[in-house]
Amino acid sequence: MKKEGEAKVEKGRDVYYKTEGIVVGAPAPKTVDGPRDYPRYNFESRVLLWFANQQHLYYGSFVLAVPIFCMVIEFMGVVTKDKAMAKRYDQLAYDFIKISLTAYSLTAILGGILIFTFLTLYPAFFGYLSGIFRPVMHIYALMFVAESGTLYIYYYGWDKMRDGFLKWIHLSMSVILNVIGTLLMFLANSWIGFMMSPAGVDEQGRYLGNIWHVIHTALWNPLNVHRILGNMAFGGGVVAAYAAYKFLASKTDEDRAHYDWMGYIAMALGVAFLIPLPFAGYWLMREVYAYRQQMGITLMGGLLAWLFIIQATMIGILFLSTNYYLWQALGRMRGAEKYQRYIKYLVFVLCCGYLVFITPHTIVMTPAELKAMGGQQHPVLGNYGVMSAKNGGINVIITTTILSFVWYMRGNKVSTVSWSKFGNIFMGVFFACAYVNIIWLAIYGYYIPANVRVGLSVPQVATTLSCLFFMFPLNAAMMKGAKQMGAIEWGKISVRSQYALIMLATAFTWMMGLMGYIRSSVRLFWHVNEIMRDNSPWAYTHTVGFAANMISFNVLFFWVSILFVFWLGSLGMKKAPVEAKAGVPGGAPQPAGGH
Amino acid sequence: MKALMSVAALMGAAGILLLAAMTVGIVPSNTVRLIEGYMPVQVIAELTLFVAGFTGLSYMMSAMGMAFPRFWQGILFWAFLLIYLKFRIYPPIPFSVRAMYGTISLVAIFMWVSANEEDWKKFKQPIMNVLDAKTGGTKALRIGYLVIIPLLIGGFSYNAMVPKSEEPIELRTVHPAPPASTKVHGKTYTLQTSQNPYRVNPEGKYDQEYSNANIVEQGMGRLMKPNANPWDKDAQGYLKYVREGGEIFYQNCHFCHGDNLNGRGLHAFAFNPIPANFTDPGTIAQLQETFIFWRVSKGGIGLPNEGFPWASVMPPWEQHLTVDEIWKVVLFEYWHTGYYPRTWD
Repeated sequence: MKKEGEAKVEKGRDVYYKTEGIVVGAPAPKTVDGPRDYPRYNFESRVLLWFANQQHLYYGSFVLAVPIFCMVIEFMGVVTKDKAMAKRYDQLAYDFIKISLTAYSLTAILGGILIFTFLTLYPAFFGYLSGIFRPVMHIYALMFVAESGTLYIYYYGWDKMRDGFLKWIHLSMSVILNVIGTLLMFLANSWIGFMMSPAGVDEQGRYLGNIWHVIHTALWNPLNVHRILGNMAFGGGVVAAYAAYKFLASKTDEDRAHYDWMGYIAMALGVAFLIPLPFAGYWLMREVYAYRQQMGITLMGGLLAWLFIIQATMIGILFLSTNYYLWQALGRMRGAEKYQRYIKYLVFVLCCGYLVFITPHTIVMTPAELKAMGGQQHPVLGNYGVMSAKNGGINVIITTTILSFVWYMRGNKVSTVSWSKFGNIFMGVFFACAYVNIIWLAIYGYYIPANVRVGLSVPQVATTLSCLFFMFPLNAAMMKGAKQMGAIEWGKISVRSQYALIMLATAFTWMMGLMGYIRSSVRLFWHVNEIMRDNSPWAYTHTVGFAANMISFNVLFFWVSILFVFWLGSLGMKKAPVEAKAGVPGGAPQPAGGH
Repeated sequence: MKALMSVAALMGAAGILLLAAMTVGIVPSNTVRLIEGYMPVQVIAELTLFVAGFTGLSYMMSAMGMAFPRFWQGILFWAFLLIYLKFRIYPPIPFSVRAMYGTISLVAIFMWVSANEEDWKKFKQPIMNVLDAKTGGTKALRIGYLVIIPLLIGGFSYNAMVPKSEEPIELRTVHPAPPASTKVHGKTYTLQTSQNPYRVNPEGKYDQEYSNANIVEQGMGRLMKPNANPWDKDAQGYLKYVREGGEIFYQNCHFCHGDNLNGRGLHAFAFNPIPANFTDPGTIAQLQETFIFWRVSKGGIGLPNEGFPWASVMPPWEQHLTVDEIWKVVLFEYWHTGYYPRTWD
């Protein structure tokens, strides 16, 4: 005979892990459209939430990325033997964290606004989600406190911990700061991961007592990796845009030199994380397909496919802007003219990769054009519109960007090592083989089964990354002790390059907004996929045009508000010592990645 | 170097002349044909040759002291690309895609002409000359532009705003996301996990590798592999099922989808869009076999909400065929086109 207490124990089956667990939570509420579950102003609640969420995410990404930059730059300052350079790096890191500090307060305010928006407009949904995540809610809040405390000590202790062992302590604090920040982001990611691919609950959405299952959903890890890289690239873009703005507004050569250098460092850091970003995105999509085929098809081939074409266009703009900036940067190096004459070929290769990359599979056309085309599939465009060609396209673009970086790094130098001729030939052949391999695999992809074709992305990516990881060190080895044809004349870069940096940052911001929207809207009419249905009147997918306008508004708002933040930051900006700001003759600053 | 550039120049000149002659019809437009199946690579190869040719021409003209101004190089190259996309590629590319290509080419040309200060100065010199208007000619041009540009903008604006009676642009979802499961003849099939029961090896077990080895060769001709002829009277197992699927296909489907499965059947051109071309790598080659099973069973009328604008008149074949017959038709379609159904493992 069962005891009374035992009879009440109810077991449920995890929707994802398929394990059994004791039901400890309430089922997901079955909401109805009305003031109880969906109270509202006389406006679309979803749009208000979209705005609050997006702004919080922009600032959140920025304040998580900038401390990582500070850590890297401060570390470079600590290990650099050149005293003047060390001072410049230190000043740069301080300038960054100062901007971040103001943005940090705004992030917290926006977080508060977001929670209030949830509570006010989506109380049933928020109540359910906070019930599921109850075991970690306060951990999240406490980590926020820890993050704030560390940040304030890190910032206000900058001068006190300037030298010797204390400097290393200070640097260690930046590591702690970033670890906490990253964990915070992982926790926040677990909520969206749960909404897309729930786990740790049964079919009715009842919590089964294992919080790790709730956090560690099918998409959590790919989301984490993608967001870290994305935040870094975004942060680099924003700081680069800040530097570009200051460059354009500078009145002295000294200021121009400083901000030119700052822009370059921020761009290099941002792009270092931009290069692996498409691969992380590819992994995320692969996991989405593995989790739910319908979700993958809705994203890549169905309802949201056109948004992915827009995304491809933005990715292309990012790489084009980066390459253009690097080519412009060759102009401030004496001796780099020998590379400039070949830029047109790089433009052509980039352009071909880009055109293939953005060719849509679902073409926008009038019925008359459809008829003239003789069917939905075009014999040329149809081939460019599928993944095999697109993988080839993006890898060609990234490899060309790597080549541009290599040219930039050797722009004003002539190798003096005894094996330089062999090294040059080897590098040339290596890049040529990389292009041939990438293009060949893209064509070969049409002749093999789809599951093998998906696997072909591995050798393609490996080829691209080989160029990055073998050619950069080889180039650095060749350029060791190289003959300098002339100094890098910081500040003598064209203004067009600065607009390219602003374009880079704007494209990052726009793309973040777009991808956030895509990721969110792929749930279609679910608050929590297949667990909690959205029964509000806004459970439909917005048109592409509306979404584009909304994203543009969010981007505009972010940039206007961040300009305010920059202005606030500049009010108390510690003036850099003159000798630290001035360009160092013959001693060009070294970008991350080993220039 | 000079010899190389001379060859490139010759190639460029010949290419331009040939393209121009083909465009205006002096030379038959199929003199240099784009071959189906190779077109995507051919187009990129042709453009590469043209770029090499133009580079050679530019080099040779500079060497002969007749350097072609950078400004006109940029403008004419862009014009060339637009003409190439409009007239060279057949069937015609829809305007939306040409607009995307045209914009990107324009950006690329800007990047090329402004890649360094010297080139940028050369490129913008004629523009600056007109803006400065120091000669009679440039003055006249400036006044001309002052009149023409607002008129053009006004014209474009008017054209964009004026109500039109044209059919609206459609963003057709070619492959809408399928449901998680579909019910056909009373049985539920989970699309993620279901398998074609006729894709079997000689032991009668599901074996995609075995069937993959027996499909027709891809590429031109799409020839049957030796010892893999479904119409051989002794054919058993997988090949026999392919033949049966083929018989069903030619009794029911080929009127629209064509006897080569390229969507150009007897009745195809009565529809807009014409039926799906299975030989295109963007159709069945991209999809799981169960997706095709679902689409064939439910037809156009069973398209989900996101299958906008539901432009399909395919009948729901579950009303005419048995489940086995549908699976066999799907088997035949993959066999005939030489494609492999998508799998996720």
